[in-house]
Amino acid sequence: MTWGLERATVTFGAKKALDDVTMRVSPGSVNVVIGGDGAGKSTLLRALVGLVRLSAGRSLRPSKRAFGYIPATAGLYVDLTVEENLAFVGQAYGVIGRDYLTRSEELLERIGLTEARTRLGGQLSGGMQRKLALAMALLHRPELMVLDEPTTGVDPASRAELWRLISGAAAKGAGVVAATTYVDEAHRGSMVLLMDQGRVITAGSPADIIAAVPGRVGAARGSDRPAGHSWRWGTSWRVWIPGGELPAGAQQVVPTFDDAVMVASMSNAKES
Amino acid sequence: MDLLVETRSATMRFGDFTAVDGVDLSVRSGEVVGLLGANGAGKTTLIRMLLGLLLPTRGSVLLFGGAPSRSARRRVGYVPQTLGLYDDLTVAENWAFTAAAFGTAHPEVPESVSGSRRELVRDLSLGLQRRVAFALAFSHDPELLVLDEPTSGVGPLSSAQLWEDIRASAEQGTGVLVTTHNMEEAEQCDRLVVMAGGRVVAAGTLGQVIGDRHVVQVTCDDWRSAFAALDGDGFIVQVQGDQLRIPGSPARVEELFQRHHLLGKLAVVPANLEEAFVEIGASESRP
Amino acid sequence: MRAMVIKEFRQLLRDRRTLGLLVGLPIILLVVFGYAANFEVSKIPTVVVGPQAAEVASRLHAPFQVTEVDPGGDRALAESRLQDGKAVVGVVTGASPISVLMDGTQLFSVQTAQGAFARMAQAEVASGGTAPAVAPEVLYNPDLKTSWIMIPGLTGLILLFIGTLITSLGVVRERQAGTIEQLAVMPFRPWDVIFGKILPYLLLATLDLIAIVLLGMALFGVPFVGSVATFAVGALLFLLVTLGMGVLISTVSQNQGQAIQLAIMFVVPQILLSGLIFPVNAMAPGVRWIAYVLPLTYFVEISRGVMLKAEPITALWFPIFVLLVMATAVLSLAVLRFRRDLAPSTRRLRRAEPEPLAGAA
Repeated sequence: MTWGLERATVTFGAKKALDDVTMRVSPGSVNVVIGGDGAGKSTLLRALVGLVRLSAGRSLRPSKRAFGYIPATAGLYVDLTVEENLAFVGQAYGVIGRDYLTRSEELLERIGLTEARTRLGGQLSGGMQRKLALAMALLHRPELMVLDEPTTGVDPASRAELWRLISGAAAKGAGVVAATTYVDEAHRGSMVLLMDQGRVITAGSPADIIAAVPGRVGAARGSDRPAGHSWRWGTSWRVWIPGGELPAGAQQVVPTFDDAVMVASMSNAKES
Repeated sequence: MDLLVETRSATMRFGDFTAVDGVDLSVRSGEVVGLLGANGAGKTTLIRMLLGLLLPTRGSVLLFGGAPSRSARRRVGYVPQTLGLYDDLTVAENWAFTAAAFGTAHPEVPESVSGSRRELVRDLSLGLQRRVAFALAFSHDPELLVLDEPTSGVGPLSSAQLWEDIRASAEQGTGVLVTTHNMEEAEQCDRLVVMAGGRVVAAGTLGQVIGDRHVVQVTCDDWRSAFAALDGDGFIVQVQGDQLRIPGSPARVEELFQRHHLLGKLAVVPANLEEAFVEIGASESRP
Repeated sequence: MRAMVIKEFRQLLRDRRTLGLLVGLPIILLVVFGYAANFEVSKIPTVVVGPQAAEVASRLHAPFQVTEVDPGGDRALAESRLQDGKAVVGVVTGASPISVLMDGTQLFSVQTAQGAFARMAQAEVASGGTAPAVAPEVLYNPDLKTSWIMIPGLTGLILLFIGTLITSLGVVRERQAGTIEQLAVMPFRPWDVIFGKILPYLLLATLDLIAIVLLGMALFGVPFVGSVATFAVGALLFLLVTLGMGVLISTVSQNQGQAIQLAIMFVVPQILLSGLIFPVNAMAPGVRWIAYVLPLTYFVEISRGVMLKAEPITALWFPIFVLLVMATAVLSLAVLRFRRDLAPSTRRLRRAEPEPLAGAA
């Protein structure tokens, strides 16, 4: 069963937070949505889980018992202990008795919180809080996982662990949609959607997105901005020419994923 | 090139707890230094020591060649994660307040953000808020900039503009210290200082920090079964699309593949910054 | 420093709720102490019974307001009028001395009446007549103890605090932490969430109520002569009103600070204008109407009547009815608004989705 959005539009007053967006989530796939603040990533996820009303299009998702959602803010109760948080979710989703015991133990071990089970949610570090929130979302073995910025502000070690858990869920067949502002996390997915101002400006696997870069991309040194569309990278510049030759001093390079994202964003800005 | 910041074996102890342990850090004018570390690694404490908000228990902290003082702080521009803007005031009002507080003669809001001067800060997009915060920090011509995760949460175009502003200021001679979790931001810096458990565990350029760490990259048709097998056997597997990346020896991975009758191509590739970071952190926590 | 001052002013002027409090509260206090804070009651409903009823009634002037003259009535009738709250003073003629029954739960009315009687007697003597023999009797609160009339009202105050302030905080906390969104996507129905959240506060408030009543009885000797059932009904309805207000406040507040401000604006007028401290019937008519829209006013009437007078439920039907209407209105509104947070897309879902949520695979 494929979940997702079909030509979904969400309007708040005069503003289109989501504009004719279509995305497919197949079982066992990791789909990453990237874009800046206000791009519409959260709105996309919330439209998918039914937290916002669609002014057009439709949302395809399983029943509430079969999907899991973590909002951008932590998603756990800071004044309940780790155990109590899991117990609450268990009861809400009907995971009880022996099933609950085995499942919660398994998850506590995977996230490394077995020893901390009586600690209050508010006493956990940011990374541990996110891991607990993820465990809470995984407890009922959902078919669709929707995660809003699951790793924002989390230290790299915890981030890696979080992604292991997420990949693990996908490996077992869940369809995963994750929104993130970290562009390097886009590589984690088999499908990437780049959003800006409510629209999907490019979508596909990372390799597809790179292949879709029109024109040429080059690298240049020095402190003067090269002609054409250019942006800083460390102490050097990257430059993109949609058609024709690269400016003098720029060496053509194979575009990286970051380049592709930049090019797509720039083309999109040009058009609007 | 001036030495703007220099710490030598800086240590900070709170009772039993050592937040910063013998840290050597320097920032010269014109360079962009990235300070990486998990929360609780001591980055924030170190910054507060640099600004003179905390006195080191041991070691020395020099700001502009002397002990950090209020007058020295005036020469520093600091943008915390929370931006330090009043979101119920307009851009122009924030600007006026800061100018009055620092006694600068910059009554006009700069070009880059003047379009939104009458808007309430809370109505601006995050990218724009960050540019305003940066412009504010830069408004009193500081010699040192300390930026906390300057582009977190911001889209590619705004991020590029911010980094242009940062680079431009570095080229004018300002020294910039950036604290970050973001691998991309780290790649923009001239050199990195990695902290864990209060100590510096790696330093140098990106290449130097990664060193010759490698991971085994596996490409196979059925990544899910491969993941399940590897994960079940205790390997730490990272998934990238349909490729798997596993730290450790290729021999072990091969052996496991044969055991589980899995098909796939193995290659040994350099680790990325995140993988290096995880490995450094792991070896640090082993007593 | 000048910069700080300017900045603070700008921020303050934009903060409407705080401004409202700064401007509104002094005005409320002024109004209250100007018009409402009055211990002299100007109209005391009086019933006169017994053979000389008509004659005696004609001699009673302000502040007494003779509402009933019944020559055939006796002491029992006068007492029942007092108990039902239909009169505050009952004059029983026929025997000497004349019995004057006064409702001790209306403390200030009684004091005003006593003063008036004394002045009447003086006037009689001064004009050469003899003052008739009068035997005053204060019923229900013979020692005219303030604590006896305050404590029943205080129970209402406690219910008000728990109901409104604490409930609103409890719900806003969820909104602030962002967990309300998750509740909306979990397999909960909006009812589960709303009543699941209110129930613990309901239980807590009930326990608190019982404790305060018992303590009041033990420490101050406040009696409880009436029907526990009637009291319970009144208390439950009042509690539902306050809890409903708490939830309602939380649906219009983004954080705890705002919730507290709104709760204060709801609670403070009730402390001052519900008859808890200043008698309602002593308030100038221009402000008296405010008392009649406050739920606490009705609960004070019920609790005082039941605890001190054993006022029967039939006599209290009006305040009970008002509380019932208020509870229904407030709770419905609260639930409607809360549902919007919890199920924003339900309606759209049913229309736009031809296949019902693609049943579990």
